Amino acid sequence: MATANENYFIYADPRKCLGCKNCEIACALAHANCDLTTAVTRGLKLKPRNSVVQVGGMVMPIQCRQCEDAPCAHACPTGAIYQEDKFVRINEGNCIGCKVCTMVCPFGAIIIAQEEKDEGNRRTKNGKARKCDLCYSRKQDNKEVSCACVEACPTKAIMLVDYESYRKKLIEERGKELVRAYSVIKA
Amino acid sequence: MSNWKNSVDPAVDYLLPIAKKAGIETAWDRYEAMQPQCGFGELGVCCRICWKGPCRIDPFGNGPQRGVCGADAHTIVARNLIRMIAAGAAAHSEHGRHIALTLLEVGEGHAPAYRIKDEQKLRKIAEKLNLAPAGKDIRQVAKEVALASLDDYSRQKRNVPCNWAKETLTAERVDKLAELGVMPHNIDAVITEIMGRTHVGCDADAVNLLLGGIKGALADYTGMCLSTELSDVIFGTPKPVITQANLGVLKEDAVNIAVHGHNPLLSEIICDVALKMNEEAKKAGAKEGINVVGICCTGNEVMMRRGIPLATNYLSQEMAIITGALDAMVVDVQCIMPALTSVAECFHTEIITTMAENKITGATHIEFREDSAVESAKKIVEVAIEAFKKRDKRKVNIPDCKQTAITGFSAEAIMAVLSKLNANDPLKPLIDNIINGNIQGIALFAGCNNPKAIHDNSFITIAKELAKNNVLMLATGCGAGAFAKNGLMTQEATEAYAGESLKAVLTALGKAAGLNGPLPLVLHMGSCVDNSRAVNVAVAIANKLGVDLDKLPLVASAPEFMSEKAVAIGTWAVTLGIPTHIGIVPQIMGSSVVVEFLTEKAKDLLGGYFIVETNPELAAAKLVAVIKERRRGLGI
Repeated sequence: MATANENYFIYADPRKCLGCKNCEIACALAHANCDLTTAVTRGLKLKPRNSVVQVGGMVMPIQCRQCEDAPCAHACPTGAIYQEDKFVRINEGNCIGCKVCTMVCPFGAIIIAQEEKDEGNRRTKNGKARKCDLCYSRKQDNKEVSCACVEACPTKAIMLVDYESYRKKLIEERGKELVRAYSVIKA
Repeated sequence: MSNWKNSVDPAVDYLLPIAKKAGIETAWDRYEAMQPQCGFGELGVCCRICWKGPCRIDPFGNGPQRGVCGADAHTIVARNLIRMIAAGAAAHSEHGRHIALTLLEVGEGHAPAYRIKDEQKLRKIAEKLNLAPAGKDIRQVAKEVALASLDDYSRQKRNVPCNWAKETLTAERVDKLAELGVMPHNIDAVITEIMGRTHVGCDADAVNLLLGGIKGALADYTGMCLSTELSDVIFGTPKPVITQANLGVLKEDAVNIAVHGHNPLLSEIICDVALKMNEEAKKAGAKEGINVVGICCTGNEVMMRRGIPLATNYLSQEMAIITGALDAMVVDVQCIMPALTSVAECFHTEIITTMAENKITGATHIEFREDSAVESAKKIVEVAIEAFKKRDKRKVNIPDCKQTAITGFSAEAIMAVLSKLNANDPLKPLIDNIINGNIQGIALFAGCNNPKAIHDNSFITIAKELAKNNVLMLATGCGAGAFAKNGLMTQEATEAYAGESLKAVLTALGKAAGLNGPLPLVLHMGSCVDNSRAVNVAVAIANKLGVDLDKLPLVASAPEFMSEKAVAIGTWAVTLGIPTHIGIVPQIMGSSVVVEFLTEKAKDLLGGYFIVETNPELAAAKLVAVIKERRRGLGI
């Protein structure tokens, strides 16, 4: 498989994040394919794949960074986590809930959460690793979907970053700075 | 461009693309920009009542389940809800107080702009309030009625219920409410009580809080009731009148003045003054003089009493300015979008605020006081005429949309129509037709517009469905505006949509009333403060049948509600025993206790309950089912 392009990832601007946790609700609902009223009236225990944390004076939503050399994918004993198609994917069906991925993740972005339906099998608690899949699980009929947290953020603090275009923009900006610096010197 | 997703009002359909092209932002744009709205807020589980917060409860059980003080979702939701009821009750009762004080001034011989237009009604009210008016001078009666009404704002004895609540409901209901401890003794005190009991560290039991809310809702009813009845005394009790609705009522060759808001105290005087200043408008170049139109409930007030055409209702208020033909919009209180001044910046339109406690940045403020009402009104009309001179003809886009609307069905007017069929016992024909099933039941439509629903659509869809099922329909407020603008307050609508038996009854009544055809499909009962008119009719029927209100085949629906006033109205409707549909998901879903109480337990306790259904077709089916269930209960 060609792996020329870097993974997309979600990034939030901590200067814009108000810590409202709207992204958490939107994420939980998106992954349950459910609207808020229904989820709440039915008492569903939904799990977001992101988590808003506060450290010092900063607030920031944290989710899987889709590492290029993802420790979780290396550590996963069952191969449930792997690289494919510009993301670190997770096949929850293969997950045994061993928590190794949560131990090696540098961001604490993976949680083990119980299945909504516990079928009463005493050999398993049905705990599965959950992490941001850039809303890949919402993708239907090959149609692109935007990420629920990005849509939900009222201050537009959260964005989906395409690393290639990001880098290009960065280089252009740096280039502009150099040009300006050069023109100052020349003048 | 089709605006089907925004509105079913053809005038909105015409004007929205014009607004878009000109880059003028409307409520729909702002609604879209607001998406998605905060989930915690939508569920009502965000508490901002003290500054340890804001606290919020995780709806999925992962995060905090209690606020810093320990309040859980049920406490938070119930507190938030009843504070809305208190605000709604405050709005209505301030309106009522204003009217009652004006009546007192009239009784004392001040306030020269006002007089007692309906003496008979004043005497009837005095009788109802046990003031023995016989033989007394009418000004004395006015004073006594005003004071008895103001008593409902100041009584300190907690065990004496408000005059207006006690004397206008069925005895059985009054007893039941007193037993529950929810009968208000003083409107102001009950509103204050809600604010007090929801303060940090006070009432934390969701059900007890809701009972406090019910009391607040009944205080709201009291304020509305006296507001409506005393307005009738001062400005006249509405009688059926044929007029027109929708933005096509604006005239290219006239100085167009819209009166917008809720209180008739100033708008009535503006109508008087405008008539006298017609010549000045003509001198300024307006061939047709002055054209006063209404928006929202001030619009309903002057429409009912004077046949002033209704330009539009809540959600489309900005459209009136976007026509480019509106010279002044005079606003008083409630439901006035602060956006009006920024829309008006794109045109010559003057937005004129009139109340000291209701100003909008960018508007011209012309203060209104009862003792100098005429002078204020003159000044306002002058400003409008000046603005007219600045009108840019190229920007005028009056949509060719207007519908006939037959309005003015106060309780008295309905009784007058009925008495044409049976002078001795006017209610008999109505009750007979309910019993024999020609009329299956009665539905009251009330409430606002909300961009969460397609503008006006839910009203129209549900009404057509209920009409087919032979349900007699009443409407107030922006609901009434929706029906008027979209042609459902016409005889043609009755012909087109009413079921056979309903059509026969409305035709018999219409002919008796001299309308030369049926009554309109939906009867316009007034502004949103006038919902008590429908209660008058219902109480009369209940008393006649010897049953309480919760037995009658009577339902209410606020399919597009948004305001705190609507929350209060809906709650008292439920409290009086009326199953009440709401078409917008209320911000209470975060508490199962509150939801269960309002949609189920209230039924055992009060007879009324809330039905939440956002789909208008399904809502209509549910309302019909409730009516059928009530009929079975009565054995008819």
